[in-house]
Amino acid sequence: MIRDFGLLEVLTILQGMWTTLALSAVAFVGGGIFGTLVALSRTSAWTWLRITSAAYIDFFQGTPLLMQLFLVYFGLPVFGFHVSAWTAVAIGLTFHASAFLGEIWRGGIQAVPRGQSEAASALGLGYIDRMRDVVLPQAIKLSFAPTVGFLVQLVKGTSLAAIIGFVELSRSAQIVASTTYKPLIAYGLAGACYFAICFPLSRVSAYYERRFAPKT
Amino acid sequence: MATMAQSAAGSLDPIIRIDGLQKYYGAFHALKNINLDVHKGERIVVCGPSGSGKSTMIRCINRIEQFEAGSILVDGISLGESMKNVNAVRAEVGMVFQQFNLFPHLTVLQNCMLAPMRVRGTSKKDAEVVAMKYLERVRIPDQAAKYPAQLSGGQQQRVAIARALCMTPKIMLFDEPTSALDPEMVKEVLDTMIGLAQEGMTMLCVTHEMGFARQVADRVIFMDAGEIIEMAKPEEFFSQPKNERTRNFLGQILNH
Repeated sequence: MIRDFGLLEVLTILQGMWTTLALSAVAFVGGGIFGTLVALSRTSAWTWLRITSAAYIDFFQGTPLLMQLFLVYFGLPVFGFHVSAWTAVAIGLTFHASAFLGEIWRGGIQAVPRGQSEAASALGLGYIDRMRDVVLPQAIKLSFAPTVGFLVQLVKGTSLAAIIGFVELSRSAQIVASTTYKPLIAYGLAGACYFAICFPLSRVSAYYERRFAPKT
Repeated sequence: MATMAQSAAGSLDPIIRIDGLQKYYGAFHALKNINLDVHKGERIVVCGPSGSGKSTMIRCINRIEQFEAGSILVDGISLGESMKNVNAVRAEVGMVFQQFNLFPHLTVLQNCMLAPMRVRGTSKKDAEVVAMKYLERVRIPDQAAKYPAQLSGGQQQRVAIARALCMTPKIMLFDEPTSALDPEMVKEVLDTMIGLAQEGMTMLCVTHEMGFARQVADRVIFMDAGEIIEMAKPEEFFSQPKNERTRNFLGQILNH
């Protein structure tokens, strides 16, 4: 034992929790922006765009997140981009989230009745107006619960960043465990931190699922 | 037939000219060589059995439906491949759907204001004035702040008519506007449409409301299996239908 389990150890883990939250937020926002593009590509009138985006989604849904993080972390330097672990992880998670969110929102867009975009078209609204004012607001409501559900997966997924040496919640718990020889307390505390983030999100998801349930 | 159309309107160039229109759904030949001229101010009722292509035909006029061959000219603009032309035509052609298709996440007023603001660049203030004017026109101004789901079917369809009118269209297309309504609500929608007809709006209505056809139509068109089988003034159409299929159809919908 190098150190006792004291306030500093708790603070180290809380610092890790903060990093996990920041990483999740960046991945969610980045994934949300690219995910919108993926969803629009998947529902596009152009076949080549639909096929390309479907392949993109299949790749990220068909490979483990850890492999995706490795590919970005070790792949970017090959192309001459020397980035920090933080940037690599943020890019990797953004790609990952964009594929999953894109697929969730594609489902939302397609669940909006066809008559809605027909009526918007008939009024002379172009594609951008039709999507922004008519289709997406309804699609977002329909996809709200699964989107928050994915956010929970994403928060937990950030723990894989520990493997490439990025110090987030899991990695800081690991550090504390190895310096205090109290793995149960360290990992227990880290688990409680994940739960404190994810459980409220799950409740929010369940609440909106009920609230936005289709009314006829 | 062209002479009759001219006598009904007066201006020589048709506002809608459909020429050799062909439409396929895969191998199914949905529209077979449709030719139709509609003049400004004409009221045309299209009827026929379900699957006869009547909805498909009027949906081609604003290119909500694609077509494989033929040409459609609306107010001098060709509905070719150019999206610019298509949007220009859509801005001048209002459409009312069987299922209303109001935007459920917007209030009645917002439903009416959206297209003038986005397509015409009307200011919010002006769009609201125009929207209230047409909501009063369809006698529903007191529901402006409500959401579509809070209204009855008949009220929703009148809002849909007001929404289309806010773009001050030159032509109105009606695709079975009363078919999804409870019987007691049909009249309020038909009355609104009759009012429009009396103001001289150019109208194409797909409907089975034969009373409406008798009262306002300049011409009644009967379609079957993707073809225009018969086209006549209502008095002729109902008293002396020439085609066997027209007689069968009228027999089925009028005598029950």
